Amino acid sequence: MTIGTSPARVGSLEKALGRARFGADQGERGDLFLVCVRADRAPAVIDALELDRALAVPGVVRIFTAADIPGEKLLGIIAVSKDQEFFADKIIRHRGQTVALIAAETESAARKAAQAVEIRFTELKGVFDAEEALADDAPLVHPGRADGNLMSRRVIRKGDAEAALSSCAVIHEAEYTTSFIEHTALETEGGRAWIEDDRVIIKACTQNPHYDQADVARFLGLDPDRVRVIQAETGGGFGGKLDVSVQPYLGLAAWLLKRPVRMVYTREESFLGTGKRHPFRMKCITGADADGHLIALKMDLSADTGAFASYALAVATRAAVHGTGPYYIPHVDIDCRLAYTNNPWAGAMRGFGVPQAALAHEGQIDAIADKLGMDRLEIRVLNALRPGLSTATGHVLSGSVGIVECLERIRPVYEKWLAEVGTSSKTGRGVGLGAMIYGIGNTSVSNPSTAQVEWTPDGRIILFTGAADIGQGSDTVLRQILAQRLDVQPERISLVRADTDLTTNAGATSASRQTYISGGAILEAASVLEEMVFDRFAELMEVDQLDLKMADGRIWVTGSPASSMAVEEIVQSLADQNVRALGNGRFDPTTSALDPETGQGVPYATYAFAAQTAVVNVDRLSGEVRVERVAAAHDVGRAINPQCVEGQICGGIMMGLGMALMEEFVPGKHANLENYHIPTMMDMPDIDPVIIVECPEETGPFGAKGVGEPALIPTAPTIASAVGQAVGKPMRHLPISLERVMEALTGADNED
Amino acid sequence: MNLIFTLNGTLTSLPDVPSHATLLSILRDRLGFLGTKEGCGVGECGACTVLLDGEPVNSCLTAAWKAAGREVLTIEGLAPADGLHPVQEAFIESGAIQCGFCTPGMILSAYALLKRTARPDVEEIKTALAGNLCRCTGYKQIVDAVQAAAAKMDRNHDNDVSGG
Repeated sequence: MTIGTSPARVGSLEKALGRARFGADQGERGDLFLVCVRADRAPAVIDALELDRALAVPGVVRIFTAADIPGEKLLGIIAVSKDQEFFADKIIRHRGQTVALIAAETESAARKAAQAVEIRFTELKGVFDAEEALADDAPLVHPGRADGNLMSRRVIRKGDAEAALSSCAVIHEAEYTTSFIEHTALETEGGRAWIEDDRVIIKACTQNPHYDQADVARFLGLDPDRVRVIQAETGGGFGGKLDVSVQPYLGLAAWLLKRPVRMVYTREESFLGTGKRHPFRMKCITGADADGHLIALKMDLSADTGAFASYALAVATRAAVHGTGPYYIPHVDIDCRLAYTNNPWAGAMRGFGVPQAALAHEGQIDAIADKLGMDRLEIRVLNALRPGLSTATGHVLSGSVGIVECLERIRPVYEKWLAEVGTSSKTGRGVGLGAMIYGIGNTSVSNPSTAQVEWTPDGRIILFTGAADIGQGSDTVLRQILAQRLDVQPERISLVRADTDLTTNAGATSASRQTYISGGAILEAASVLEEMVFDRFAELMEVDQLDLKMADGRIWVTGSPASSMAVEEIVQSLADQNVRALGNGRFDPTTSALDPETGQGVPYATYAFAAQTAVVNVDRLSGEVRVERVAAAHDVGRAINPQCVEGQICGGIMMGLGMALMEEFVPGKHANLENYHIPTMMDMPDIDPVIIVECPEETGPFGAKGVGEPALIPTAPTIASAVGQAVGKPMRHLPISLERVMEALTGADNED
Repeated sequence: MNLIFTLNGTLTSLPDVPSHATLLSILRDRLGFLGTKEGCGVGECGACTVLLDGEPVNSCLTAAWKAAGREVLTIEGLAPADGLHPVQEAFIESGAIQCGFCTPGMILSAYALLKRTARPDVEEIKTALAGNLCRCTGYKQIVDAVQAAAAKMDRNHDNDVSGG
C-alpha cells in the first residue's frame, strides 16, 4: 500500500544538500541582468521618460519601454479581464508599476541605471479605498471603462433573507475588516530566458507554466509553440506566483536582444510588483430561531482589488459562495463587489477571499450562540452542512461532507481547554473555535488537468505532468497515486514535470486542486495504459482481457497463475509494432455555471471541511497576544501522504496566525521584512493534535480532495474568537495588533 | 583585496574582492555556491545563513573581508562525501522540507545549535532558529527534525566512542 504512507518528498534530498536550483539560481556567466524601473507614486501621467543618464551607465545594453512590446500590451490570468500593463504606457496606475526595463551586463550596472532614469510626470487625483472607489464621483482607475471602478460583482440570492430576518428570534449585525497581505514566499521571483532555434525559452519559478507560456506569447506576438516555459524549482507561491511576474520581461529582452538574460526581484520589488491578498470590508446581518438554527444571512462585501484585475472575478465569487461558512442557511442574500483603486493590485492568495469571509461567518455564529446562551460548538454542530442539505448556491450535497465529524473530533480538545481556561475575560486567556468549507478546484468553470503515463520496454515508468510542485508536495503525492494504481513502488516512477514542451496542461497549482484533479487525470492515464497492455497480452496469450489484472509489474490471468507475463515484455512487443505504451488522461470535475442574478448553481464537484480550536494568552499591560495551543481537524477525503497533509495544516495555521495577529501591508510603508513581519519559530504555538478526517470523495483519487488552502482558512477566525473571549469583546478587525487589543481592553474601540 | 579563507574545508583565495562586497555575493556570484539563498537582503529571513567559525551569520549583511583567515561552512560543505549529515537526514525524514528555499540556512542554524547543545529542548530550538523564517511548514516538522537529528548525532557520538 502506497496510499496513506509518507515516503520522503520528491526533491527533498537535493534541497537538503543545497543542490536544488530555484528561479533565482538560474543563469550563466555572460547573461544580461534585467531590472525594472518602477514608479514611486501614482496615479500620474507620464510626461517624459529621461533615459540618457541611464543609457550612459557603463554596461547598459538597452532600455525597454511600453513602445517596445511587439504583441498585446494587456495581460492577465483570467481571459475576460486581461488589463495589466507590464509597462505603464501613458498613465501610471499604482505605486510600483514598471515604466521601463534595464538590460545591462551586470546586476550592479542595471540597478545603477534604474536609479538614473528620471520619470517626469503630472500627478492625478487617485482613489485608495474600495468604498470610495465605488462612489459616483470617484476618479476612474481605468477611464472609459463601462462599469467604472466596479471590477467584479457576485450576487447570491436564495430564499428571501429580508422577510426571513423579520421573523427571527435573534439577530446579529456586525462589520468585519481584513488587510492587504503579502504572500512572502521565501524565494522572490526570478528566472532566465534564452533563444533556441528561434524560440524563446524561459525557466522561472511559477505556479502555472502553461498560462505563462500563453501570456508571454501574446506579449511577444508569437505563436504559443514558439515559447517554452520550464518551471524552475519554486520556493513557495501561496498564489503569488500564479500571475506572471518576471516572465514577460525575460521573454521580451531575450527575444529582442537575442541574448540570454536573467532577472531576480529583490524583496522590495517582490513587495511592490506582485499581487496581494484582498482587504475586505464585510457587513453582516445573521438571524436565527430560538433554538439556534440559522435562518437568514445578509452580507454586503466589498474589497480593494488595486489597479489591475488579476483574480478579482474569482475572489468575488469565492468570497460570496463561501459566505455562509459550513452551515445550512435557508435564506441568503450576499452581494460582493470588488473595486479598482490606485493601490498595488490584489490577486490570488491561499483561499481566494474565503479566509476573509470566514472571519465574518465565524464571528457571526459566535455572536448568535452568545446571544442565545448556547455553546459555541453545539451551535456549529446544529447548523453544520450534511448530505441532503444545500449550500448558499443551492448545491445539494451528497457524499463527503465531513464538517460534523471535524467538529466532533475537535470537541474533546475544545472542551478540555475550555474547562482549563474558562470563559472569564479576567484570566487574560481565551479559547476560540473556527470552522470552514472550501470548494476544491476553480469555481463554475471547466478546469481540466491532463497527464500521460508511459511504461518503457527497459522497464521505466514515466509520469508526465504539467502540475507545478511549489513545495506543497504534488510531485510526491501524484507519484504515490500512480504507484498505487500500477501496484509498483513510487521510487520506480520517474517524473517529467511542468515543462510546456514535454508535458500537457495540468492547470494552475491553485484552488487546492492538483491532488484531486491532476490525480484524477493520472488515474485515467494509467487506465488507458493498462488497457493497451491488457489488449496486447490478451492477443499474445489468447485470453479474455476481462480476466486480467496488473500486479508486481506483471499481468496475471485470474485463476491461472502460470499464465503471467512481465509488463516490459508486453511493452516490448508493442514497441515491435511501433506502438508506444503511453496512456493519456484527462479529468475535469463536474460543475455548472452560477446564475448571474441569483448565484445558484453547482460551483464545485467537492468541498473540504475543517474545524480548529486555539488557546491564546493576552498580556493586559502590553496588548501582546500569544497563541499557546492550536488543534485542527481537517476532512481531506483521503490522506494520500499523511506527513504532507500535516505539513500543509501546520503551515496553514502559521500563515493564519500571521493574518490574525501581525500581517498588514500598507502601500508606501512596507517593502521588506524589517517592518512587515511574518511568524517566526518563536510565534509557533503547540500544534497538537492534528486530526485527519477522511470522508472519501467518490470522484477523487482513492477518495482524496485537497488541503492546501483549507489548512489556513479557519485559523484567523479561531484566534480572533479566542482573543475576543480573553478581552471580553469580539475582535472583528484584522490584524489584531497591540493597538487593537489595547483599544478593546480600554473601551476605545467603540465596538459593542 | 585578495580574500583568503577556508571554505568548506578548502583554503580559498579570491582576488579583487571589493571592500563593500558581501559574503553572500562572493559565495553566489564569484564562487558559484548557489546553495546559500537570498530571501530579503536585510538580515531578517535567515535564508543566507552560513557558519563563520561555527557560528551562524547572515551572509547578506556580512562583509566578505570579515571571512579573511576564518572558516566558512555553507550547505555544500555539510554532508560527508558519501552521504548525508544526520541533520540533513532528519530534515528529509521528518517532512521538514517543503519548498526548500529556507532549508540550507535552517539546516546550518540547526547544526550550529546541536554542536553546542547536544539535546536542546523545544524552547532552545525555537530561540536558536528564530532568525530563520519558513513560510511553508509552520515550523512543527522542523522542530521535530532538529530533535530527531539530536538523537541521531548522540547515537553516532556513542558509536564513535565505542568504536574508537
